[in-house]
Amino acid sequence: MRQFFSQLISFPYFFKLAQLSFPYIFVISIFVILLGVSWGVFFSPSDATQGDVYRIIYIHVPAASVAQSIYYTMVVASITYLIWRIKMASVFMISMAPLGALFTFLALFTGAVWGQPTWGTWWVWDARLTSTLILLILYLAIISLFSSFDRRDSTDQAVSIIVLIGGINLPIIKLSVEWWNTLHQSASITLSGSSIDNEMLIPLLISILGFYIYVTAIGMRRMQIEIIKREITHNWVKTIFQEKR
Amino acid sequence: MRNFYFKTFQRDSRVYLSRSSSFLGPIVFFLITITLYPIAFGSDEEQLAELAAGIIWISILLANLLSHQFIFNEDYKDGSLDLVLTSGKSLFLWASIKIFVNWYFSSLPLIFISIFTSFMLYLPFDAALILAITLFLGTPILSMFGALAGALTLERGNIVGSSIVIPLCLPALILGILAIQSYKNEELFFYIFLLAAFLFFSIPILIASCLGAIKLHFE
Repeated sequence: MRQFFSQLISFPYFFKLAQLSFPYIFVISIFVILLGVSWGVFFSPSDATQGDVYRIIYIHVPAASVAQSIYYTMVVASITYLIWRIKMASVFMISMAPLGALFTFLALFTGAVWGQPTWGTWWVWDARLTSTLILLILYLAIISLFSSFDRRDSTDQAVSIIVLIGGINLPIIKLSVEWWNTLHQSASITLSGSSIDNEMLIPLLISILGFYIYVTAIGMRRMQIEIIKREITHNWVKTIFQEKR
Repeated sequence: MRNFYFKTFQRDSRVYLSRSSSFLGPIVFFLITITLYPIAFGSDEEQLAELAAGIIWISILLANLLSHQFIFNEDYKDGSLDLVLTSGKSLFLWASIKIFVNWYFSSLPLIFISIFTSFMLYLPFDAALILAITLFLGTPILSMFGALAGALTLERGNIVGSSIVIPLCLPALILGILAIQSYKNEELFFYIFLLAAFLFFSIPILIASCLGAIKLHFE
């Protein structure tokens, strides 16, 4: 087990492993997402109060869940990088941050589309929405940091410091946004108010699982690209591309 | 040992005093922004009184961004940062002194001016006092985040650092505003203590990460 992990952080080994496993994981993720979403959209019962509009939940909730999880995995990677200087951790952060931004945006967008018919507005300054917006800003700020250094190591270290500080700060931001919100308006709009029926919950869980597998696949692909960018002068990259020809 | 830190303090203070733009800049910027709000929103007394706390906090947040680059940038350019890093002195204390001097010359004047501007914006006197207290607790947090941004972007001093800092400063802003808004209730102390807790919590973390950010320019 220990040997497996120590092999995983070597660039050539990871590259080959990702190259082999990417097609399978990708196909499985597409299959699971299609299963979950189509089950939810076509076969699960419509909601008593919201009608058929609620069916966007099968995209919205998985996207929001993935968006937050990516940030927390990035925090773990940043700690790993700052303590052990494992380059794979910085490759992970740099390739996952744009994905996180994308899914945060998707969550906000589907939320707005869902909010229009149910709440009557595209946007509410609700605690949850606001903290998701701040998460998006944080992702974009991290991405904008990628190109502000000349040297690779400085970028990695700056990104990991900011990710770590953001990770410490994110729960505080969430809490403070909730305090700020409760003073202004009662928290009438929460998802947790109504418990979800099993017939809706199962397809939702399936599509959440599908989104996670999808992010794993795409994240592996992005990490491969980042590895090639960094190791372009090394021999093992050259041999891989010569084999292809 | 003590001499080194005292001299750092003395030298930094002299630099700030001799260069008027570095401590007058934020003040002028702050006054201009404060003037812009009534022009944009109208001079209605009730409306301004309601917005006053937010206006002052946001203006101070933005004015703080102006002075961030001064903290470590000049030492980096003239090479004295190298000497300090290799001198073996306590870097933590050294960075704290530099950040304190920056706070003293760029934020402290703003806190005093903000008491006067709060009357211009029709904020009640009690609320203005609370505003000053929250600013005393909150502006060091902004200075430390600003120092972190300045340390990360030493070479270029670009806007990227500032854009990272603002979302992270958000708890300070929210707690400050909440304290001012509840200046009549007991909840006031809850928010002020939380703000103080946030300040003391962030001192070790932010200064340590500042030093980490400085060191990465010399690896």
